[in-house]
Amino acid sequence: MELTASQTDALTELINIGYARAAAALSELTGHRISLEVPEVAVHQRPEIAESLQRVVQGDVVSVNQVFSGPINGNALLLLDRGAAMLLNQLLTDRSGRPELDGAAREVITEVGNIVLNACLGAFGNLLKVQVSFTVPSLQIESVQRVISSITVAGSELEYALIIHTRFHVRASDVSGYLVIILGVTSLETLLLELQKWEDRELK
Amino acid sequence: MGRSRIEIEEEHLASMQDRTGPYGEGPLLSWIKQFAPYGVITLNEAFQVETWNHWMEIHSSRRSEEVIGKDFFELYSEVRERKLAAHFERALSGEACVLSSALHHYVLALPCTFREPGMPHMLQTTRIAPLFEKGRVCGVVVIIEDVSQRESQAEALRRQQRRDEILSWALAHLLKAEEPRKTVRQLFFKIAQHLDFDSFSLYLRDAETGILHLFTAGGLPTGSEKDFAQCPFSSLSDSKSPEMLVLDSVQDRSEPEYAILKRAGVSAAVAVPLVSNDRNLGLLSFATWSRPTIAAGEPDLLTTISQYLATALDRENTSRQLRQAKEQLADHARLLEKTVQERTSQLRETVSELETFTYTLAHDLKAPIRGITGYCNLLLEELAEELSPGVNRIVKRLSRTSRNMETLVNDLLAFSRVSQQQVVLSRLEVEPIIDHLLAMRMPELKRAVTVEKPLHSVVANQELLHQVLANLIDNAFKFVQPQTSPKIIIRSELVQHGSPSTRSGKLVFSSVETKQPCGDLPVATTNQQVRIWVIDEGIGISPELHRKIFGIFERGVTSQQYEGTGMGLAIVSRAMQRMGGTCGVESESGKGSRFWIVLPAG
Repeated sequence: MELTASQTDALTELINIGYARAAAALSELTGHRISLEVPEVAVHQRPEIAESLQRVVQGDVVSVNQVFSGPINGNALLLLDRGAAMLLNQLLTDRSGRPELDGAAREVITEVGNIVLNACLGAFGNLLKVQVSFTVPSLQIESVQRVISSITVAGSELEYALIIHTRFHVRASDVSGYLVIILGVTSLETLLLELQKWEDRELK
Repeated sequence: MGRSRIEIEEEHLASMQDRTGPYGEGPLLSWIKQFAPYGVITLNEAFQVETWNHWMEIHSSRRSEEVIGKDFFELYSEVRERKLAAHFERALSGEACVLSSALHHYVLALPCTFREPGMPHMLQTTRIAPLFEKGRVCGVVVIIEDVSQRESQAEALRRQQRRDEILSWALAHLLKAEEPRKTVRQLFFKIAQHLDFDSFSLYLRDAETGILHLFTAGGLPTGSEKDFAQCPFSSLSDSKSPEMLVLDSVQDRSEPEYAILKRAGVSAAVAVPLVSNDRNLGLLSFATWSRPTIAAGEPDLLTTISQYLATALDRENTSRQLRQAKEQLADHARLLEKTVQERTSQLRETVSELETFTYTLAHDLKAPIRGITGYCNLLLEELAEELSPGVNRIVKRLSRTSRNMETLVNDLLAFSRVSQQQVVLSRLEVEPIIDHLLAMRMPELKRAVTVEKPLHSVVANQELLHQVLANLIDNAFKFVQPQTSPKIIIRSELVQHGSPSTRSGKLVFSSVETKQPCGDLPVATTNQQVRIWVIDEGIGISPELHRKIFGIFERGVTSQQYEGTGMGLAIVSRAMQRMGGTCGVESESGKGSRFWIVLPAG
């Protein structure tokens, strides 16, 4: 399934709105100026997802996972490679030289993921004018393949994924992460329909 | 508030007797309220407390009855002040969040359950999520996890890692440093910084006086340098054990040990003796002006580092001593060489003077001896009739003795000439020389000699070589058993200069191994040398005499048996020496003799 150029533009704009909130929240939390870019948005079918992600994230990934439910159901993940996760933790906590992601570092990454995911999903909720509820975020460290295969939406295997390549800039450092929002077929159709409506409203 | 933790625990235990739970809820919620190792709070849409579990009662010292129905943000107004209320508000719109301990430390200011300095509040990870009822949000649930112990352990682990890094860095530095004294400052600055000390001072023992003196210091506040100029830890100055001294709360102490540090304003200090191989090399100390006590664990690190340092200093001392010893030895060798040269030169002068004296003496003695011989002959020939038989016998003896004396003086003169004459070396054929000298000899001798021709040519002095060969051949002919006809073989062979055959133990004597010849011709540039053998089947010479016979007036036999002055081989030896050659003999008593001379090949 391919997004049209206008759908891509609309989604990008929508996510940008959510990111403004996330960036503000992160900046306030850490006292550093943090910016989030949204360079790429794409929809991939299940077989393509792992392949597409493995091109850019090698080895184990750190994923923050939140399940959301309501009129649209799905699973939202923030993926960071291990190095990026460690760098992000260092930049946010001013603690350097940690060889591993310990409990405290995992929580920091979880909180950052939570802020970004909430911002994104909250933006969808606002758009759809419906209440979407989320589970408490959890963090895993495993291979991309395992992350993708372990996800199910509403009891069935996922079919489409909306992949948003995100870059964090913290104190002039560059940390890249992937935001993957997994949606069921009906949810994606609903989202695209609502997106069209939103665009129409905005144009008026 | 106001109730002790123990009272709350007792009431709780009493309420547990009721299996349905103190609040009458279902079993799971009842379990969570009673036993969950987390703080669990639920709030309604107006943020009024609805649930306050046992963990919260224990850790907040507030009983559930005191808080239920109360506005959460009034109970904990700090939450709103710290801008954390937004998370609760967003939970009402369905969002769930995690607040990490690393970024927020805590959400509710609860007392720390873990004794750790510098940790005033319980470190918490907090989860805030919406509560649903019939598909819509009806409130907020807050779950508080106490991570103080985890963080404290993680911090201890980090400290340990940092400590290990410092240790391995210090060890690598000290192992690598050839002269650790020159680089320790850099090391101590880093250690002082890591261990939160303000200053360091290193005292080293003076090798001569044995007194500790301040070698280097850093971070001392202005004005306290003079207090640290002398070691303030007198009790450790001779310690042979690497145990450290920790001086806490210095300003509150009145013991004399603390006096200097107290005056310098130090609040706490540590000192470790530097001990290696049971010797106290000095003392290392760190001091702080701000902390009253030294944290546990720090001393271990310093003890280890001071042991490394002591070993490195010891090694440096040893290698310096070794270097000095080597220099002394080299000086001594140079001095010795100079002395030997001086003595040799003096000795040469003396020998030269003695030789001149001998030559003059022998030369001047010839005329009077000839006079005595002449007068004896005159008496015996012209006045024989006038002499009584007794006098005649005496005059004959006198005549023979004076002839002996003349031979002696002639030999001595020959020896002196060999020693003193100008030696010009040239390439010589040996065969004509032997032919010439045999032609001058008696027929018996000529018959006795077999020359294994051809003989190799040599570089030598004609006159000296003639003398040498004549002496060796005459000896070979002379020293034979009575009634035995002598057999003499002369042969030559090529040998490598310095090769084992010229130096082996078999060659029992060589007068001078290598000596610069006195003549004009340089020593043969090749290593080729010629050895000429004069071999007889005579009486032989026992090995202990081999060296002796080449000396002046030394004889291998008693005078009565064989005539001679004992000068022949001395002349051979001296002549070979003058020509830069060597000579020697292989022989055993009764088994003939094999005399040899070695000269550069011609």
